[in-house]
Amino acid sequence: MWSLGVIVHLLGTIVSLWPEKSTRQNPPNIFWEPISILKPLKGCDSGLEENLSTFLDLDYPSYELLFSVASLEDPAYMVAKKIIERNPQIAAKLIVAPVNLGPNPKVNNMVRAYEQARNDLVLISDSNVRVDKGYLKQISRYMRDKKVGMVTSVISGIHGEGLGGKLEAIFLNSFYARWMKLLFRFGKPCVVGKSMLFRKSTAQRFGGINVLARYLAEDYMAGQAIKKLGLQVVLASEPVPQIIGKLQFKDFWLRHIRWGRIRKSQVFLAFLIEPVLFSFNSCFFGAVFLETILDSNPVFTFLAQIMIWFLLDVPTLVKSGVKPNCRAFLVWALRESLAFPLWINIAFGNTVQWRGKQLKLEGGGLLVTA
Amino acid sequence: MMLADFHVHSTFSDGKLTIPAVVDLYGQRGFGAIAITDHVGESRTVIGKAAGHLGLCLTKATFPLYLEILKSEAERAWRLYRMVVIPGVELSKNSISNYRSAHIIALGIKKFMSADGDVADIARNIRNEGAISIAAHPVDSGKFEKQTYHLWNRRFELAQAFDAWEVASGDRLFPEVLNSSLPKIASSDLHIARHMTSWKTLLDCERHPEAILDSIKKQKLSFRFYRDSKNDNIHSDIHSGYGSLVESRSYRSSFGDYRQSLA
Ligand SMILES: [Zn+2]
Ligand SMILES: [Zn+2]
Repeated sequence: MWSLGVIVHLLGTIVSLWPEKSTRQNPPNIFWEPISILKPLKGCDSGLEENLSTFLDLDYPSYELLFSVASLEDPAYMVAKKIIERNPQIAAKLIVAPVNLGPNPKVNNMVRAYEQARNDLVLISDSNVRVDKGYLKQISRYMRDKKVGMVTSVISGIHGEGLGGKLEAIFLNSFYARWMKLLFRFGKPCVVGKSMLFRKSTAQRFGGINVLARYLAEDYMAGQAIKKLGLQVVLASEPVPQIIGKLQFKDFWLRHIRWGRIRKSQVFLAFLIEPVLFSFNSCFFGAVFLETILDSNPVFTFLAQIMIWFLLDVPTLVKSGVKPNCRAFLVWALRESLAFPLWINIAFGNTVQWRGKQLKLEGGGLLVTA
Repeated sequence: MMLADFHVHSTFSDGKLTIPAVVDLYGQRGFGAIAITDHVGESRTVIGKAAGHLGLCLTKATFPLYLEILKSEAERAWRLYRMVVIPGVELSKNSISNYRSAHIIALGIKKFMSADGDVADIARNIRNEGAISIAAHPVDSGKFEKQTYHLWNRRFELAQAFDAWEVASGDRLFPEVLNSSLPKIASSDLHIARHMTSWKTLLDCERHPEAILDSIKKQKLSFRFYRDSKNDNIHSDIHSGYGSLVESRSYRSSFGDYRQSLA
């Protein structure tokens, strides 16, 4: 068990450090296909206006922005409206058209905007990401390959405040980033809805995004559908920063319970072996093992292994823009120590709290309102 | 006259080809109709649950995507190849005992069907939904794999419950079924491209799902061994093009009005 955890961790580090295929250089005079960017909004996340503003002057010849909110009362409505009014040079629309196609509120929120999108190439982009000017070119270049059906990105966590926020950021920048890359490298794509580029004409082949409204993890299912069509899902080389903002410890915990239970309902067997891959568990077994064969001090070997584990995570952290200092280590270690208790909490229960609703999960990620 | 295959798997269960790849495989070889029939396991048994978790079966969750992709691929198959694609499932009851195991194919389905309950009820349910029911590989397949004898053991009681019984599966012809008076059908149970070299059903009807299913019900069909040169390493040098029919081994269906011109 110890060795499995260690091997996977080493593999993750190698994959994380693996040089990307050099497609960075874009040939000159290339045609950049126009993109419709869908921005489903819900409430005022921290820094919403700044986040959305990063989409106003992207280095891309032709794109449109389609903001959508579920109701006029939503505070995000005013924010988006203001942005559109202040920037008449941008092709942007704000769509308020609540529909009820299934229990997934995000899909319901953006279905009308999706229908109104003028371009075949569609990007679903969450409200809490902040991108740099070259973002659209970075991700759309993969779509020139006709075998590629979808491009997604690793999300890095920035501006995490409060204990929950800090834990969330370190989680995204270490464990999560490493696993995303590892899964993609081994042909098990795991799409993140925060940045999802695909063609409407491709989505039409699996019934359009309407079909996804019945799943809680619409992003994961979209990736599965693309694969079932025989197309590839690729991971863009640059991470997309997500603003975490202030989170209480409880927020962090509940968020992970939610995603953990979705994961459990979707890939149950993978969920079962997860504990073996947690650093604290793996190092604990390692320490016991070393004590039996070498009669070493288990506390010392445990701590030494944890240190090595952290050092192996450093490249991943640096890639996500984290300074690997002592503080980062402490937050990292706290997050790692919580992984197993969290897993136990996830294991017992099938309901999730989401946007004020209590939802029940069925096998495969189907949603039923509890 | 057209070649048809009514038992084909895709990556939605344990097949190795995606649905679009299956459509191209058959379409390029001039087939007139195929049915994609991915496994649905039992929802309550340990084996059924495990198969679902391992992605070896369609589940309630993946089923909506399955139907949508089948719909759009049927349109593409018709546009490109004039080939009919029929949505189906293989309801799979797998038990440790071969005598308790049964696979039942439903063709022309419109909604999710479960493999739970007694086989007689399952067959009735399939017909109630307007689909047709087929007893899949009911006897010894002669291969090292899970065998399903349950339906054959109850064949007298269930004779009327199924619209057809597989008289051949893959490259095996089943003499027990052939010599019986049960309605018949021959299919490949294709999981990989190499399974293309196998028994197929030959139909003479309009290329339309209802006409095709009606031909099965009325047993207006015959069976042919199809040798695929592209995916068959033994015979690849003999034939040009993708495939050929082996004329010498065609069998008359017991109920069908067999056309002499086929041979
Ligand atoms: Zn079978
Ligand atoms: Zn089969």
